[in-house]
Amino acid sequence: MVNGLLNPEKETGIIGWGSYIPRYRLPLDEIARIWGFAKETPRGLRTFEKAVASRDEDATTMGWEAALNALKRAGINPGEIGAVWFGTESKPYAVKPSATIIAEAFGITPDTMATDLEFACRAASEAMRIAIGAVASKLVKYALVIGSDTAQAEPGDVLEFTASSAAAAFIIGPSNEAAAVFEASYTYVTDTPDFWRRAYIPYPLHGEGFTGEPAYFHHIVNAVKGLLEKTGLTVNDFNYVIFHQPNGSFPLKVARKLGIPREKVLPGLVTPYIGNSYNASALIGLSKVLDDAKPGDRILLAPFGSGAGSDAYSIVVTDKIIDRKDKAPKVGDYLARKKIIDYGMYAKCRGLIKRVRR
Amino acid sequence: MKYSIARYWREKHSYYRLKATKCLKCGRINYPPSKVCKYCGSRELEDTELFGLAKVLTWTVIYASPSGYEEYKPLIIAMVELLGTGVRILTRLTDVDPEEVREGMLVEPVLRRTSEDGEAGIIRYALLFRPLIKGAPEIESNK
Repeated sequence: MVNGLLNPEKETGIIGWGSYIPRYRLPLDEIARIWGFAKETPRGLRTFEKAVASRDEDATTMGWEAALNALKRAGINPGEIGAVWFGTESKPYAVKPSATIIAEAFGITPDTMATDLEFACRAASEAMRIAIGAVASKLVKYALVIGSDTAQAEPGDVLEFTASSAAAAFIIGPSNEAAAVFEASYTYVTDTPDFWRRAYIPYPLHGEGFTGEPAYFHHIVNAVKGLLEKTGLTVNDFNYVIFHQPNGSFPLKVARKLGIPREKVLPGLVTPYIGNSYNASALIGLSKVLDDAKPGDRILLAPFGSGAGSDAYSIVVTDKIIDRKDKAPKVGDYLARKKIIDYGMYAKCRGLIKRVRR
Repeated sequence: MKYSIARYWREKHSYYRLKATKCLKCGRINYPPSKVCKYCGSRELEDTELFGLAKVLTWTVIYASPSGYEEYKPLIIAMVELLGTGVRILTRLTDVDPEEVREGMLVEPVLRRTSEDGEAGIIRYALLFRPLIKGAPEIESNK
């Protein structure tokens, strides 16, 4: 019990973690050149390049590789996974789950739950909270949580500067096997019209005045405050802090609002190098921090999704992390593997060129 | 719809995983899986799965692609050998440009979209091979 509330989180933790970033990078200067933006526009986003999925990649394939890396680190039999929950807003099929494809590919089927979840950029984080409940209640032994997106943006829209592609995955299981245990979590959601995409419309729209203060900042600040109130912790108790990363400047700004020094945020800030990978955005930051963390470190994680909501987690690293770090490629390995492309290749890869396909 | 849904469903495990059989008599791996060992003729085989590093033996580049593969050309078709098994697989390489391919290049399996049945039909996924990510540890070739 924490402050009189149920605290199932402590029964659970992260058994394995993994990420995936495609090799193509589109410099934001190239987008500004094509669409006639001032050169200073991308500078204000504190983002330099964005990762672009190639023509043979989508949310399912990227999620598969992130899950493969999580399984390598977990070292468990995939058949023991009782739930595959896939958070995305860029499903390859409008109707047909990605979760079952991935479950089948790893031999997790048929004795498992599997579904895709949607809540803009935080569906995978909601999946993580659901997984905590399922594992703590012993409904399942392990749950595979995946966040993966090939984020859409209308060509020429300011959103195009950062909408990118990547994936992150986590095996959630019992705390006595965990490389990092959940100490507590808290969720804060409201009905906020900051960003949406209606059925059959290819690109999302965003309410200009709503994306910052009433959406991103309000929800993250309140989720973090809720977590701190629930646990009695202060921001000084955390070694690393990871926020949702729609661009490179918002996470630093929300850190200032919460009195958190930027040095605790920068290790998990990957958007400047790969853009905003939506459901993978904060979770790749967590993956990167786990790649470098040491036993005893306490991590504050706060993903956000438009619509809108934020979750805050307190995660404490255990000594089991030491042997698992090197069992799969790290975020840094994927960051180092890159090929710069121009807008033409980006347009082909993201299907922006209309063709008659027979 | 040009693709057979029934065939894709029936063969999905061959696309998603490298299914093989291991001869209980001579110990050799049969890939694709076979009910009779192609090395010793034994009918005593067990199912197994292959996964892990491979090296490129030879390759060719196809610029005039078959229908359904236009989005993915040029197609680099390669013969790769899984390390430690002697198993040779005809596959497609991805995440590499034709001029970057080298004999002996280490590659690893990755799930990718391989073709799609027009705008509305099924998307086919399968394991392809791509150059080893730097920092990736070597993993068992035959788990």
